[in-house]
Amino acid sequence: MKLEVKEIRKSFGDTEILHGITFEVESGVALGLLGRNGAGKTTTIRILMDVFKANEGKILLDGAVFDRKEHQIGYLPEERGLYPKKTVQEQLIYLAMLRGMKKKEAAENTKKWLKRLEVDQYLNRKLETLSKGNQQKVQLASTLVCDPEIVILDEPFSGLDPVNSQILKDVVKELIEQGKIVIFSSHQMSYVEEFCDNIVIIDHGEVALKGRLQEIKREYGRHLYILNAENYEVSELKNKCEKELADYMVVQELKKEFLVLKLKEKVGQEDFLNAILHTDIIIDVFGNYKPSLNDIFVARVGNDGTEGEIK
Amino acid sequence: MKQFITVLKFELANYIKNRTYMVTTILMAVVLGALMFLPRVLDLTGLVGESQGSVAVEESVLEEQEEQVNEEESSQTETYLLFDPNEIVNQELLEQYFPGVMWQEAESEEEIRTAVEQQNALAGFCVTAEDHFTYYVFNKSMTSGDTEIFSELLGLVKQLNYCEEHDLNFEEVSQVFQFADQVQYEEEILGKDMVSNYFYCYAFVILIFMMIIMYGVMIATSVTTEKSNRSIEVLVTSTSSNSLIFGKVIAGAIAGICQVGIILGAILLSYQINREAWNGFLDSYLNIPIDVLVTFALFGIGGYLFYAFLYGAVGALVSKTEDINKSSSGLQMVIMIVYFVVLVQLMNVDGIVIKVASFLPFSSYSAMFARVAMGNVEMWEIIVSFIILVVSVVAAGLIGAKIYRMGTLRYGNPVKFSHALKSVLRKE
Repeated sequence: MKLEVKEIRKSFGDTEILHGITFEVESGVALGLLGRNGAGKTTTIRILMDVFKANEGKILLDGAVFDRKEHQIGYLPEERGLYPKKTVQEQLIYLAMLRGMKKKEAAENTKKWLKRLEVDQYLNRKLETLSKGNQQKVQLASTLVCDPEIVILDEPFSGLDPVNSQILKDVVKELIEQGKIVIFSSHQMSYVEEFCDNIVIIDHGEVALKGRLQEIKREYGRHLYILNAENYEVSELKNKCEKELADYMVVQELKKEFLVLKLKEKVGQEDFLNAILHTDIIIDVFGNYKPSLNDIFVARVGNDGTEGEIK
Repeated sequence: MKQFITVLKFELANYIKNRTYMVTTILMAVVLGALMFLPRVLDLTGLVGESQGSVAVEESVLEEQEEQVNEEESSQTETYLLFDPNEIVNQELLEQYFPGVMWQEAESEEEIRTAVEQQNALAGFCVTAEDHFTYYVFNKSMTSGDTEIFSELLGLVKQLNYCEEHDLNFEEVSQVFQFADQVQYEEEILGKDMVSNYFYCYAFVILIFMMIIMYGVMIATSVTTEKSNRSIEVLVTSTSSNSLIFGKVIAGAIAGICQVGIILGAILLSYQINREAWNGFLDSYLNIPIDVLVTFALFGIGGYLFYAFLYGAVGALVSKTEDINKSSSGLQMVIMIVYFVVLVQLMNVDGIVIKVASFLPFSSYSAMFARVAMGNVEMWEIIVSFIILVVSVVAAGLIGAKIYRMGTLRYGNPVKFSHALKSVLRKE
């Protein structure tokens, strides 16, 4: 399956919130939907969920117009909430039935998912009596109870301890392996890097960056190198480089253990190493720099959304 | 439709599993139903009179009771003062007109004032002329008729004096002038008896008003609670907002109608069983013709649903339950106005105001019912009014669903109902 979001525009009153969002996601490949708070991620998701209607643009599934009612979508909203006074079983069956399941099937799936998420012992307990982490897992079970073809997870790891996070990670990996379409929205970049092959960064209602994560990393890492010296501290090394090697490079970032440098245009790796040999710097580490997703995100939208460079 | 049924069942289960709802329904039905059996176990003849079907009580027993009442009355004697310098009032008449009152002569008007002020006497009269007196009382009760009785007494004194002056036989004259008392008549009401229908009509107008306000707020609270606990986003992404609001409102309506129906049914049924024992005492409230009950049910349910949808929409416009009253104030104002207009117009059910109100969907639920119970109304009027109400209920449901959809994911300050309505209508 291939879900395509094409040129989606959405206005509230006179204010346009989304200015032509376009991206696509395929079965078995998770998409990381990223952006700062208020960038337009939730509005995009709500349009996918048919909560809001787009003013312009279209959503296609395998080339045909996507009708949300004809497909099972599991949506875990960022704003968590179920019925605190109801038992876990009651509400999961109710939500599954709302999505078209028969009661028997809903009851079976409820048990299955609660067991998979290791909270089946709370089947007949009221939600309000569970810990926050377990409530979070019940919420995830409510997302998956209808066996969705498309899974949209908005900040699924918030409020989970490391053990529960691991359970959730395994579940998400299983969903991807099962060939579900998984859209994953989070501010925790390490999780996005772990699951998502593709990313879309939305900023101010526009797609600021999208593509395969590895390619984006490679592209962003081009001309970037790390450098550490045996005879200088990192801060001293930065001053030394800026003083003696300014014709060859620009210091991009000062990390705890090394410098991130960007070589100037037409300066090759060998030219730079030759230049270093003419200084008293004794090289400890030198090599290509692979930026993290966090670096890319901050570089792309960190400076009020204007395109920037890794710093 | 399937999802609507799912929501309806879930919401109904919420009411049924609600202990307060169940206990209130059962307890009130049992207690009020049992109250109707009271005349069978307790002697309420003092309140309801003699039962028509009961065995005639022997005269001696009646006399005994009368004596007992007289004894009770004499033991409850109140002191009244009288200052009558011109000796206009006859002592014998005073005792006849004010039974159980102990009269004391006062020396002056000031003495009466002081005695009443110090509450040594309940009241006092200062008679200054045949046609004038001053009445003194410390706290005048709602039911006090002292001045009217005393005026009547002075009137009688005047008549007696006149007959004496003109050598007339007072007995003969009074028989002629009070001839109306001797007229025999039979009454056949071909239309409606406003007097006997007035009381249950009054009670039903209050009942439907209370139902709309009480259950309307319950429905709004149910919607707002889902917003405040944030389950609304899961719900609106799981099913259509129409299924959600229609399911919720219809469930609230069923719960409300069942509760009121069970309680009212228990009262009416118990009363019918014990009507003879009550000696028809509560007929004006509880012996309701079936056509009036049917009209009340149809228009009552219609009006109730009309407002229930609007309350559901109001619930979606606020994020906190404490804001519901503020947001629903406009709606409540309309309901209150309808309530007062219909109550005031109950004495004039064929007037133009209630006629107009009986066709407007926001007031027909009680105005048309009042007209059917007490006034002249043609069948076509009932049908047209009911069609208008049904169409309006559907429109309120659809508009309510749109406002609900618009309001569900809006958090923060409450959205005004009028703004939401304008916004929805503009989109249309």
